[in-house]
Amino acid sequence: MTKYAVSGATFSTDQVNNRQVFGGLKQWFDPESAHSEGTTPDYRFSLANERTFLAWIRTGLALIAGGLACAQFLPPLPIARLREIISIALLVLGGLVALRAVDHWARAERAMRLGVDLPRSRFPAILAIIVAIGAVVLVVTVLHRVLA
Amino acid sequence: MTRDPGAAPERTRLAWRRTGMSAAAVALLATRPAFSPGAGPAEWLVAAASMAGWAACAALALQRAPGLRVRPPRTAARTIRAYALITTALAVIGGLVVML
Repeated sequence: MTKYAVSGATFSTDQVNNRQVFGGLKQWFDPESAHSEGTTPDYRFSLANERTFLAWIRTGLALIAGGLACAQFLPPLPIARLREIISIALLVLGGLVALRAVDHWARAERAMRLGVDLPRSRFPAILAIIVAIGAVVLVVTVLHRVLA
Repeated sequence: MTRDPGAAPERTRLAWRRTGMSAAAVALLATRPAFSPGAGPAEWLVAAASMAGWAACAALALQRAPGLRVRPPRTAARTIRAYALITTALAVIGGLVVML
């Protein structure tokens, strides 16, 4: 099996053929295809990474479900279209969480293969702040509605 | 190979299962407007798309399961990317539900 370098990373012929077949989307997600560099880590680490990914996907799905529930079950709010804005914001956040989940999974997998530090991320803190701000806005809106 | 005392494959299989349940909740919420009295073809199409997304999620989880039963378990790559894509697609479908 010949090995050769493509844009700095080394691939075997099998993997390059695989990349041609499943090219497009896969490359868009992860330019350095998994199973191409370094050594295969202990499967337990890979499965833990997979469970972390799934936990993030559930977080994203919960945000999406929250957005849908807002649109369908909230009464019209005092500010015009606020209900739809909250819904869309939650849906966008949910989609972002899902995309970031797969990106983080791929980077963690790659770090484990190369034996380097796991990727660090500010994303959980940013998400927490956004959710907290959203909660405060909702509390103010509800209080406004109750007191008005 | 001895049994993994940490039960990693079993926990991973259960993680897929509860993720599938979350996806079902999203798909059902997106389908709900199709059953309202004023529903038209747009609502039906969106409902069909969300159900298709949920079916794809279930199919991916089903496809993943055998790899977790063998010892040593196989790791996933394409299934994970596909799942993330479908979740994003569900968010887009949700956007259509809100806009309708």
